[in-house]
Amino acid sequence: MGLPVSHILLATGFLLVLIGLWGLLTHRNILRIIIGFSLIDTGLHIVMVASGYVTGGTAPIADKALPIGEATLRAVDPVPSALVVTAIVIGFSVTAVMLAFAIRLYDAKKTLSIDAFTESKW
Amino acid sequence: MVEGLSQPLNIFLLGLGGGFLIPLLYRFGKQLPGIAFVISLGGMTVISAICLLSVLSGGGAIDSYTAGAMPPYSINLRLGPWEGVFAFSVNIIAVLGAWHLWERLRASYAVLLLYLILVMGINGMIMTRDLFNLFVFLEIVSIATYGLLGTERTPAALSAGFKYIMATVLASSFFLVGSVLLYHVTGTLNIDQMIEQRAAITGPIGMAALMFVLSCLIVELKPFPANGWGLDVYETAPAGVAALVSVGVSAGVFFALFKLLPIFEQQLGVIALSAGLTFVFSNLVGLRQSKVQRMLGYSSIAQMALAVLALALLTELGAEASLPLVVGGIFLNHLFAKAGLFWLAGIINRQQIRDWGAVAARPSVLFAFAVLLIAISGLPPFPSFWAKWELVMQLAEGRLYFWIGVLLVGSLFEVTYMFRWFRQAIRGESREGGFTPALSRMLPVYICVGILAASGYYAATRAGAASIWLFAPLYIGGFLCLFERLPARARCALMLLAVLLVGIWMGRDVDGISQLFAALLLPGGLVVASAGLYRVDPRPGYYPLMAVLLLAIVCLLGASTSLEFFFCWELITLSSYFLISMRREARGHALRFLIFSLASAFLLLAGFGIATAANGTVALAAFEIAGPDAAAAFALLAIGLLIKAGAVGVHVWLPGTYAEADDDLSAMLSAVVSKVAMFGLFMVTYIAIRSELGLDLAYVMGWIGVLTTVAGALMALQQDDVKRMLAYSSMSQIGYIVTAIALMSHLGWVTALYLVANHLMVKGILFLAVAGIILRAGTRRLDACGGLARNMPFTFAAAVIALISMSGLPPLAGFGGKWLLLSAMMDRGWYGLVALGVLATLIGLLYMFRLGYSVFLGPARPTHQEVREAPAALLVPQFLLVTAILVLSFFPKLFMEPISAAIDPQFASTLVWEGMSLELIYGTWNPVPVMAVSVAIAAVGLGLMWFLYRVGRVGSAAPGVTRFYGFYKPVFAPILTPYAYAFWRGISGLVANAAGLVARIYGGNGQVYALYVLYYVAAIYFLGTVFAPEISSF
Amino acid sequence: MKRTFDLLALMLFGFIFATVIAGYVERDSLSALAQYYLEAVPRDLGAQNVVTGILITYRGFDTLGEVAVLFMVAASVGILLASGAGERPDEVGRDAAAGPSELVISGAEVILPMIFLFGAYVILNGHLSAGGGFQGGAVVASGVMLLLIARPSTLVNHGFLSVTESLAGVVYVTLGILGIVFAGGFLDSHIMPRGELGAFISAGAIPVISALLGIKVGAELSVVIDRFRS
Repeated sequence: MGLPVSHILLATGFLLVLIGLWGLLTHRNILRIIIGFSLIDTGLHIVMVASGYVTGGTAPIADKALPIGEATLRAVDPVPSALVVTAIVIGFSVTAVMLAFAIRLYDAKKTLSIDAFTESKW
Repeated sequence: MVEGLSQPLNIFLLGLGGGFLIPLLYRFGKQLPGIAFVISLGGMTVISAICLLSVLSGGGAIDSYTAGAMPPYSINLRLGPWEGVFAFSVNIIAVLGAWHLWERLRASYAVLLLYLILVMGINGMIMTRDLFNLFVFLEIVSIATYGLLGTERTPAALSAGFKYIMATVLASSFFLVGSVLLYHVTGTLNIDQMIEQRAAITGPIGMAALMFVLSCLIVELKPFPANGWGLDVYETAPAGVAALVSVGVSAGVFFALFKLLPIFEQQLGVIALSAGLTFVFSNLVGLRQSKVQRMLGYSSIAQMALAVLALALLTELGAEASLPLVVGGIFLNHLFAKAGLFWLAGIINRQQIRDWGAVAARPSVLFAFAVLLIAISGLPPFPSFWAKWELVMQLAEGRLYFWIGVLLVGSLFEVTYMFRWFRQAIRGESREGGFTPALSRMLPVYICVGILAASGYYAATRAGAASIWLFAPLYIGGFLCLFERLPARARCALMLLAVLLVGIWMGRDVDGISQLFAALLLPGGLVVASAGLYRVDPRPGYYPLMAVLLLAIVCLLGASTSLEFFFCWELITLSSYFLISMRREARGHALRFLIFSLASAFLLLAGFGIATAANGTVALAAFEIAGPDAAAAFALLAIGLLIKAGAVGVHVWLPGTYAEADDDLSAMLSAVVSKVAMFGLFMVTYIAIRSELGLDLAYVMGWIGVLTTVAGALMALQQDDVKRMLAYSSMSQIGYIVTAIALMSHLGWVTALYLVANHLMVKGILFLAVAGIILRAGTRRLDACGGLARNMPFTFAAAVIALISMSGLPPLAGFGGKWLLLSAMMDRGWYGLVALGVLATLIGLLYMFRLGYSVFLGPARPTHQEVREAPAALLVPQFLLVTAILVLSFFPKLFMEPISAAIDPQFASTLVWEGMSLELIYGTWNPVPVMAVSVAIAAVGLGLMWFLYRVGRVGSAAPGVTRFYGFYKPVFAPILTPYAYAFWRGISGLVANAAGLVARIYGGNGQVYALYVLYYVAAIYFLGTVFAPEISSF
Repeated sequence: MKRTFDLLALMLFGFIFATVIAGYVERDSLSALAQYYLEAVPRDLGAQNVVTGILITYRGFDTLGEVAVLFMVAASVGILLASGAGERPDEVGRDAAAGPSELVISGAEVILPMIFLFGAYVILNGHLSAGGGFQGGAVVASGVMLLLIARPSTLVNHGFLSVTESLAGVVYVTLGILGIVFAGGFLDSHIMPRGELGAFISAGAIPVISALLGIKVGAELSVVIDRFRS
């Protein structure tokens, strides 16, 4: 049957994180750095969801397809899914604040290169 | 009703409800958001206070459940004693901080709601018992911080804010994934349950998860070197916001670490390592700072690291019982002192440290400033002092000596840069005129000062040291502050009266050697202090500090535990420092004095720690029965005391301090304060008597004493400044006393006490005489004086008696003292020391002759025709001391017998002096031949020098005394190259260079900082998983 | 030089992540906590969607915190982007130069009502099926975004939106407090009848809170988007 689906998801998530890290470490442009952060976030969300997967599980919604009695046997873990909603909202929030900062930084220096913002040091 | 209020949940209802309401209220009235803010924040504080009270009054921890379900199914909050203290103190800081920031806060309702929710978020981080909820609160705090950072529009502040976001977002991402993976391995998010099931946290996923959570918390606490982003924010943010980040946000993160610590029990070593590195290196780089807020940033980071270090080490040692005093003390101390300093920085609004002279003329501001600095430096009587003491005791008990070193070195760095800042503030040379902050602005700072004082007293109670007796010096000092508006002389008289009465009360139970010292130092101190009556200038704060100094000395003599001793020791150091720094010219020297004194104090602290661990008690009496384990303690204590005594090599703080302090203060320092170190040596040698190693060390100490004597004498000979000469002379004389103590024999100790008495009187007279000359003739230069004997006959008479007594010429006390010393050394077979001692005496003779001759005899200066006799206020103390010298000289038994009696018990059971009894010495002492021989030796020596001088100056003009000394200056110059100064300057240069080198890592680039953070996380991962046991073991 | 260090950092994390992936074994059973939720949410709370039940009730405190985060983001972005007098002078010219194309404008007219309707559906059916306040709110906000792109001249009424989000927040907290008074604790959804599992009006206060969340999230996201526009 090969690799379980959650394994692939997990690897994909972590790969996305690595790509995001690479982006934020190597790109000078603040907007690209922010994109790097978004990638990391997305990757982590995938990791979170993947970690809640149970072999053969389905969405934890107790409707006709999943009678209550079977839920504990056939559903995936609902907790990571609940957590990921929170995490997504927070990720969005952080991105919004970063973008607002980026706009202000651009106003201040008319550039978005991270190397230009080294006023404080030592 | 109270039951309902004491639910911690209400804090969140107020915070969130108030926050959500603010925009709504804004529609109804521009003032309403402000009112809602005040009500919500005040309500949160009151609720946390009620909760804390309910917990402390025995109610037990309060749990709040949500969603009608029990944990682990739903999120719950808990408020126990720890949570209560943290939450309440953070809320207090938040209220005061809101007061400070009010102008900025009320400018926009958005800022109000951010501030409110930020404070609520910190409370949440403290109280929540759910791991993921902790993450949510961490994010609430972070986002609110980002928003507040965005209120400052300078480019530097914005860039700093962005760097801060980058680093903290990275950190919290790790927390997020870590907590979800922890759920994966443990099946719970409830912290209590997770702690129960911590055994399940294994395997690659468990360890990675654990390390991710741990590294997020550590990174959020801004560890060295991954903390540039934090420093930039501290530097550029508005002071009030920086204060909140420094104490509030850090408090939340610290508490998160604190409550999760049980799941990190394998990683305590890593945590300690990270915190230790951060503590030392942050303080090191702090030395290089020229900007106030950035420097405070380094200090903040270091203080939080100290708290973490203490937490990790004490937990590892299993000393959880000490956590409240140590971790609580360090935390509260940092909270209030650092917030106060940040606010003060915001009020004074001078970015550069060098511009702080603006507050020089504001005693009330300086007072608050000084208190905050003392507190942050961990000096008494503030909580951090008691915390550090307890920490060192525990570390010594656990034999973690390396960490004691780390703690003390880092602390010394911190004290140095903090007080360098203070030096700038009192310099008062800033071109900007006086700066008067409004009282309403200063209020939060003053409240911090008050809270620090109260919590310091509370900490002392916890440390078992709070007593009226121990705090009496401070009470009296505070009491005298109330009379600062009186004229100078009235204040002086009041101080003398207070010290007399309280001093007698405090000294009533003292016995043994302590009693002898008390009998010398209290009256001696009062007599010398009474000379202050000649000054009519205001000298704000001088007399209260003098009272603290004198009473702390009495208190120290009566100390029965090493903690009490150390407390008084630090009080003496601090009060001397502030007294010295009152004279503008002395300020640079005062800093050096403080640094060396504190280095000495830290050695004492380490020594006491080891001694306490070896003796099993802090009682000083136990030193008498200490075993050989205490040898290391003896060495540390002795080195510390020798630094304070101004032994050669570490004497560099002494000459400048004595020379540049106020003239009457110099007399006090040299005559009275220097004896405190001698008392310490007496006390410490109890340890040495019992151990073989100690006796060897005592021999080394004897050599140090004699070398100090010789070096001091040689340098005194070189001086043209009369106060400097007396300063070196003081050093030289103290050297004799050190040697005498090192003799460790009955005779040696009798001699030492005899010399102590003699030196007290002699130096008191001489410095006061010089004070009169400076007052009347207006100069301190030896070659600018001359013939003053005619103008100032009484001063002359007193000085001559003092000089004779000091130089060891018969028939006065100094001769007896020296004779006794030489006899005692011969008795021990220390012949090399005897020879050097005689040499030093000869040199002493030379410089003292020069002093007497050039000032009082010699050709009179035309400008000095009108010079009058010194005022009575100076002469009376001198003649009181002269009387004492005469009594000591001609009725030595009056003094010798009590000394002998006091010392006997120390030796009765240990060493028996097998030579002649004292009676015998004095009985057979026929002064005439000894006197004759001494005079002969002196005459031969002088003649020899005179001869050399004539040979060397062939064909020159008519000889004079000035020329004679001028000739000998280059002769001695080669031996007197100031090696010691060069050495210490080299050390300080090295440290400064090291600091500069380390500071290079803070290049300001946010991307690089993010890289540091990533490396830090990786390092924690590898250290925490692979090397955890190895690190824990050291 | 720096590239090398970047690469090294990446390799370190690659290694760490690889150990996690290698150590990962897909679970074949649920944790006790998950089992409890799967049974209790439908039975006790009456919500079909277990995730929504957890989010709004058991972890409602988290959700409230999340709402606070969003609320603060709207405020923070407002603070950061509030333009002082004389800033951003080039705005007018840019708008005139690049208006939206005809396709976008016409497309928006067709799609927008559907987006808003879908958003409302997602919000209101959160307790029954996949969806919920956050998701629906995001859908609504994406509609607002499309609206702003299609008609740049649209003026978003910040006052209205901020009153809306505030009110929603206050009502949310009030509902939570009602939980303390009338049910088992803060944010307990039993303050309203549980109803019949699967019915539209069921699951106690969950749909109400969901709706509030949807309104609040939609309003906040719209405010944020609009701030970035100006």
